[in-house]
Amino acid sequence: MSEGFQSTTVQQMEADAARLKETAVKVGIDIWQDRVKAQTPHCGFGDKGICCKICAMGPCRITPKSPKGICGATADTIAGRNYLRMAAGGAATHSDHGRECVWKLYDSSADGNYHVTDATKLLNLAKEWGVPTEDRDIYDVAHEVAEIGLNEYGKIKGYQRWTDRATEERKKVWMEQDIMPRAVDREVVTAMHMTHMGCTADAEALVRQSLRCGLSDGWGGSMAGTEMSDILYGTPMPKETEGNLGVLEKDMVNIICHGHDPAVSEMIVLVAESKEMQDYARSFGARGINIVGLCCTANEIAMRHGVRMAGNFLQQENALLTGVVEAIVVDVQCIFPNIGPLSECFHTKFYTTSPIARIPFSTYLQLTSENAKDVATTIVKEACENFPKRDENKIFIPEHKHKASVGYSCEGIKSRLDTVTNSHLDELDTYKPLIQCVTSGVLRGAVAMVGCNNPKVRPDYSHIEIMKRLIENDVVIVATGCAAQAASKAGLLDKASKVLCGEGLRRVCTLADIPPVLHMGSCVDISRMMLLVTGIAKDWGIDVTQLPVVGCAPEWMSEKAVSIANYVVATGIDTYLGIDPMVSGSAQMMDLITNGTTKWVGAGYHINTDPEQLVKDILDGIEAKRAALGI
Amino acid sequence: MRRLFDRVFKGSDEMYEKAVRDLDEAIAKYGADHIMQFPDTAYNCACVLQYTGKKVNTLADLKAALDGPIKEMMSREQKTHAVFTSGLATAMSAEIIEACKYVEDPAPYKGEYHGHMSDAEVRELGVPLVTQDIPGFTVLIGPAPSDEEARDTIKGYQSRGIFVFLVGGIIDQAKRMGISMGFKVRIVEVGPDIWSVSHVISLVMRAAMIFGNIQPGDYWGMNTYTLERIFAFVNAYAPVDDLTVACGGGAIALGFPVITDDKEDLYQVPKSLVIQPDTKDFIETSLEARDVRIKVTQMDIPVAFNSAFEGEIIRKKDVQAEMYGARVDCFELVQMKDVREIEDHKITVVGPDFDELEPGVMSQIAMVAEVGGKKMLADFEPVFERKFHSWINCMEGVMHTGQRDQIRIRISKAAYKNGLRAKHFGEMLYAKIKGDYDTVVDRCQVTIYTDPAECTRLRKELATPVYDARDARLASLTDEAADVFYTCTLCQSFSPSHVCIVTPERLGLCGAVSWLDAKATNHLNPNGPCQVVSKENCVDENIGIWPDVNRAVKEYSQGHLESVTLYSIIQDPMTSCGCFECICGLEPASNGVVIVNREYAGSTPIGMTFAELASMTGGGEQTPGFMGHGVQFIGSKKFMRAEGGIQRIVWMPAALKEKVASRVNKAAQELYGIENFTDMICDETVADSADDLDKMIDFLAEKGHPALAMEPML
Repeated sequence: MSEGFQSTTVQQMEADAARLKETAVKVGIDIWQDRVKAQTPHCGFGDKGICCKICAMGPCRITPKSPKGICGATADTIAGRNYLRMAAGGAATHSDHGRECVWKLYDSSADGNYHVTDATKLLNLAKEWGVPTEDRDIYDVAHEVAEIGLNEYGKIKGYQRWTDRATEERKKVWMEQDIMPRAVDREVVTAMHMTHMGCTADAEALVRQSLRCGLSDGWGGSMAGTEMSDILYGTPMPKETEGNLGVLEKDMVNIICHGHDPAVSEMIVLVAESKEMQDYARSFGARGINIVGLCCTANEIAMRHGVRMAGNFLQQENALLTGVVEAIVVDVQCIFPNIGPLSECFHTKFYTTSPIARIPFSTYLQLTSENAKDVATTIVKEACENFPKRDENKIFIPEHKHKASVGYSCEGIKSRLDTVTNSHLDELDTYKPLIQCVTSGVLRGAVAMVGCNNPKVRPDYSHIEIMKRLIENDVVIVATGCAAQAASKAGLLDKASKVLCGEGLRRVCTLADIPPVLHMGSCVDISRMMLLVTGIAKDWGIDVTQLPVVGCAPEWMSEKAVSIANYVVATGIDTYLGIDPMVSGSAQMMDLITNGTTKWVGAGYHINTDPEQLVKDILDGIEAKRAALGI
Repeated sequence: MRRLFDRVFKGSDEMYEKAVRDLDEAIAKYGADHIMQFPDTAYNCACVLQYTGKKVNTLADLKAALDGPIKEMMSREQKTHAVFTSGLATAMSAEIIEACKYVEDPAPYKGEYHGHMSDAEVRELGVPLVTQDIPGFTVLIGPAPSDEEARDTIKGYQSRGIFVFLVGGIIDQAKRMGISMGFKVRIVEVGPDIWSVSHVISLVMRAAMIFGNIQPGDYWGMNTYTLERIFAFVNAYAPVDDLTVACGGGAIALGFPVITDDKEDLYQVPKSLVIQPDTKDFIETSLEARDVRIKVTQMDIPVAFNSAFEGEIIRKKDVQAEMYGARVDCFELVQMKDVREIEDHKITVVGPDFDELEPGVMSQIAMVAEVGGKKMLADFEPVFERKFHSWINCMEGVMHTGQRDQIRIRISKAAYKNGLRAKHFGEMLYAKIKGDYDTVVDRCQVTIYTDPAECTRLRKELATPVYDARDARLASLTDEAADVFYTCTLCQSFSPSHVCIVTPERLGLCGAVSWLDAKATNHLNPNGPCQVVSKENCVDENIGIWPDVNRAVKEYSQGHLESVTLYSIIQDPMTSCGCFECICGLEPASNGVVIVNREYAGSTPIGMTFAELASMTGGGEQTPGFMGHGVQFIGSKKFMRAEGGIQRIVWMPAALKEKVASRVNKAAQELYGIENFTDMICDETVADSADDLDKMIDFLAEKGHPALAMEPML
């Protein structure tokens, strides 16, 4: 049934990694596989969320013999505080990334480094926020919109204005449950304050603040990041690219962009595409310059420019171990500190660019709106000059790569759905064709696959196996972040992978000309998913909680993922986790994040570390939602 | 609201149960070993054959299919796959219900309905599908809300070239509205009950097996082929019952959307199940749902213009005006002129218009189109001129036969009443020449002569010398004299791995593409289906092996073929797409070959009908000893030259023999010094079955046929 399409298996990926590990041994550097061994077993108290080191009286650990910390904090309090602090850490991280994006819009100008690319999106947002646009210079509008956007981070009173986009039902629930998010910074500060020694001890209040803090991210900071990036660099639309380590080129200058904020990578792509730089690369004997991405920076530039994707979080060391990377340039988040010493073992130059992510053994070139192009030019030039310095004995590029169709923003998805409408009957620019596929039963539902890699489970295995099972069962997938990259490595973003689907999804893929897994972007772009489910619920005329749509983070690891999980649940989407949320030491916390939130907001966590069982739970969950709708 | 999938399942069960009942009755009456064979097909019970992968010969075979694979396809899981397979199981059950009728009577519908369609009819569709003369198929399941609406919808589809199949009450509506029906006019009254729709599915199955080389049992191959290459759709008028919904499941499985006005318990599914409450908008809604694009040529004529009217016959009693070149001087001519001498779109009528012609009296007509352009070549004149035949036929109410000065034209009273006059012939010819050949024709003017004296004078002074010069040119056009050959991959939209090599002495096997046509096509569209193949470094001129021919077939068959020879049917014979006019097959006893044309329905001395012989090849597959080809090729000196040429022909249907006699006899005379060679060729009057093989050998011996003394071919 494969009909010419062969998915790259996890075994094949592991074989590639094993081959690269030989190089690591040869050059004498540790990689994550070594460090996982060294760190195993992990501290059981930390793992269960019942180690408190919030004050200097501790650390306190909860055991049957010592059920309370020195202050009297119970397992519920400690696990609850740790959980909220993770959510706050994630919300702060996403939101601050978003803030940088708003600043770039604030700094944009016709003759500067950053420009308005999607003027329609800017004008729509201006209209949404009541900013006058008639007879105004687009940059005047941009600056006023940016100022309002920046103000959302620290507004004195009121709620996140982005939440105006939610369904009436959600807004009502958020107000009733008192989790409507206020200023982004305030929610993070509130969380830190609540979890300080001697403040909130009630686990329920901690979980409620986790939801609110998460909402300030998903319906605040992250949404700002996505929207501003679209305005500045263009809203992603469907396009073709490739993924996995095979995208590195032996005879070209390879520059890897790694991190999350597209401000740096956009400039690198722009500069590297210039004839001057391509000629410069050729002057060193290279065929040209090959920009590839890692992690969410890869997602950002793949979605907008079709730049190829080298891989996800746990692939970052592998990429350098190929020995053909002239430069790796990073912005923020998910960057292994080990990239520093690792790059020292090769000719690879390692550039850090943000004061947020300062890393030893790197060249620090702080990027600002004013110097962005100059910094990018320096990096690209030095990379070209570095090309002849490769050590032939350290080179191995795994061959595996797949075609990947990317760029499925909400606008991108609608553009594909428009192609299956009938002008005699249907309106354009809606999710109705998708809804029709779901109500008729052709598609059973949709799953948002998100989240990281985590060596606590076999990396990528859970992502890929769960996705394969879902598409086989006519469940369409939207994916972001490392989940989308896992799909890319396995070929599930290739339109040809429709042969792995059940016949319903396969037909939908054919008619709409889409792959079965729709790449929606980086992890901040989970905000797109919130707008997607909101749009679907509005077009369908039902509540978000009724949709046969769920979220799944089978390999999550970062604090950002905790924040995401909170806003996804608060938006009314059941979320299936393949990694324990580090609160299992508290029965009350486990109940609150599963049953408790379901009572308050209509959705909660479903946790199972066995991917086979998790996907079964997902399919059952979707069918239960269908049954409730009578479809 | 009932779930859509449940409705398919219920309808599928109903059809299955009826099939079981009908088959059990037939078995009780005739016995399980009774032969079951639909007429004129080598793909008996094509739906069952395709989806079970097993041949059907007897009622027991059908019983085994119902009990085994068909039942297995009727899973009741809430999944699209189960719905699709149940839909296809419904089509198979329907086919078995129909099969039981044909067991009872080989012509169960007595001419009232068309019922089963023959393989020859399927093969007739090849060329018009490829050329997009038939841009799609529709199955109308009715009745429509009113007789008038039924008529308007049917005629609306017909005027757009869509092939129309009618099932159920809409057939009575069409009859009441006096619509002429039949395979030739592309409106087929399939049958009165929903299960008769299986005949349409059978036609689709066979088209995919014949043109696409889809193998029985290849579920995904079939469903992908039909989805991607057969532009069919269904219009089901309300109320739609579960049986019809289940059949719809099968249609959608094949990629054919269902458009209905029934809103009860039906869910809209994009491009698959489309609910259009306004039945008057069915046509446009459906065409969009199936991505059928109708090529429209704007022309100022008062009657419809469409290939669907090509098969239209105008009877004597309906004739307003008639011109017949065999009796009076008539002709049609395309002539290249210096572009400066041509006034574009100038239409001139010389002589009386149709109003002044006396009905019933033979009239005269001459149509002269003068064309010019920087890229125009004199070689294209006959290419355009040959198209007059089909173009004139495409006008509703006009019939055309013949070519050059042997044309016959009939204009119906209805077309005349609609305002059709002489100048409209000019308008139509102008529009088609400019529309179809715009890259080489910059200017075109048309003169229609109806003045008898002018027709006579111009035939003698203008037309005859041109025809004579062209004949001389054609006679000199041999494979040896040509500088290049051409590929033709026009058929690849249906037969993805077939490539024709077109040479002056070997036209395309469909009979529709000559070397000059290919040359013109190449000039019109240098990146199109006809590509130049160089003749350099010939390896074997007798067998016809050229390195670039092999290179071309490999490239354009996407590696499916390695090599073909041009003049052998044993060594790497040229492949067929399936729409060939004739099939030639080895007859070992006589050391010869038999040739059967598509129109011949009977059997042959090798015990196979055209349909059965044709099923041996096609779909781009090489089958040594079998070859599809055009009628014209039979008279070619290059016809299986490697094996000794036309003297190997031992049997042809009488009608075909008559058609090719003059060319074959001329070639045989020149090649072997044999006079009246066709008299030596056996036909069905002597031998028409495998039992008659000895009669044929005796006939050949008596006539002294040269094949008997030749080396065996294998």
